[in-house]
Amino acid sequence: MTATMRTSPLAVAVAGRKPELREVHGMPVPARFPGERDTWKATIGICDVSALVRAGLKGPGAEAWLAARNVPVPAAANSWTHAGGGLVARLARTEFLIEDGCDDVAAARLRAELQAGEPGVYPVIRQDCALALAGAAVNELLVQTCNADFASQSAADSIVTLTQMVGVSVTVLRDDRGTVPCYRVWCDGTMGPYFWETLIGIAEELGGGPVGIASLFADTAT
Amino acid sequence: MKLLRCPVNGVRPVSEFAYGGEIRSMPADTCSDIEWAHYVFNRSGVPGVKVEWWYHIASGTWFHAERDTVTDRVLRTWLPGDLPPAADGKAA
Repeated sequence: MTATMRTSPLAVAVAGRKPELREVHGMPVPARFPGERDTWKATIGICDVSALVRAGLKGPGAEAWLAARNVPVPAAANSWTHAGGGLVARLARTEFLIEDGCDDVAAARLRAELQAGEPGVYPVIRQDCALALAGAAVNELLVQTCNADFASQSAADSIVTLTQMVGVSVTVLRDDRGTVPCYRVWCDGTMGPYFWETLIGIAEELGGGPVGIASLFADTAT
Repeated sequence: MKLLRCPVNGVRPVSEFAYGGEIRSMPADTCSDIEWAHYVFNRSGVPGVKVEWWYHIASGTWFHAERDTVTDRVLRTWLPGDLPPAADGKAA
């Protein structure tokens, strides 16, 4: 019997940097990069978190479907909330993105339940390249790559922004890691390598670089 | 930078949008071939205030925009099925 391994959209793009890989939700992702230090907190660290499991759904019945399963539903369009170790983001009026944390299984369970089919509830396949952009200088990277004004947002605003960065359509929200500013970014997986290389290039100019998931998410550090 | 207001996502640079054409009524299925060909192939180039389809690429949102093609000024935008907001001239 052969076990199927999930593959990050960035697997090839990061391979040349020879990171130490760790399996998260059945997907090997960089846990640490060679020479990685905590200095990224003062500059910029970019982390591949594509391994986190996501569920997507849309339709006029989506909100009620989630509420019936005790999933916290953000009241306003383009806002988000924490759910366990993961998050629930409301994209526009009737579309939702649910993402698990490193140890959650909620999104995986919802994805399975969506397969049963229900009128007015439509599954959305999420095969995103998911990144975390963190560090004190992260807004300098966003200013160079995006037209949306993130400097005026705080994590407490719980805003979801759908915009474009370096020409790629992205979903962005701010979810700080402790006192370190952190933005979560999702884009189409096929754009991932270009997106990663471009952002890493800018981050390195600003004194930052790639970081592994163990640096950003303490619950994967063991 | 030219700006456009998406009814869901707010004001964004026009580079995040795609033009979807003027909103026109489809002729009835009893129309003549000439009427159908006119609908399919011909567009009105008369300048003035027109209601158009626009698309916010980043979020996949189609919406309506009322635009003065003389000044290229968007007067208001709204979602299909919603009532148009009051024209405030601030949409673009």
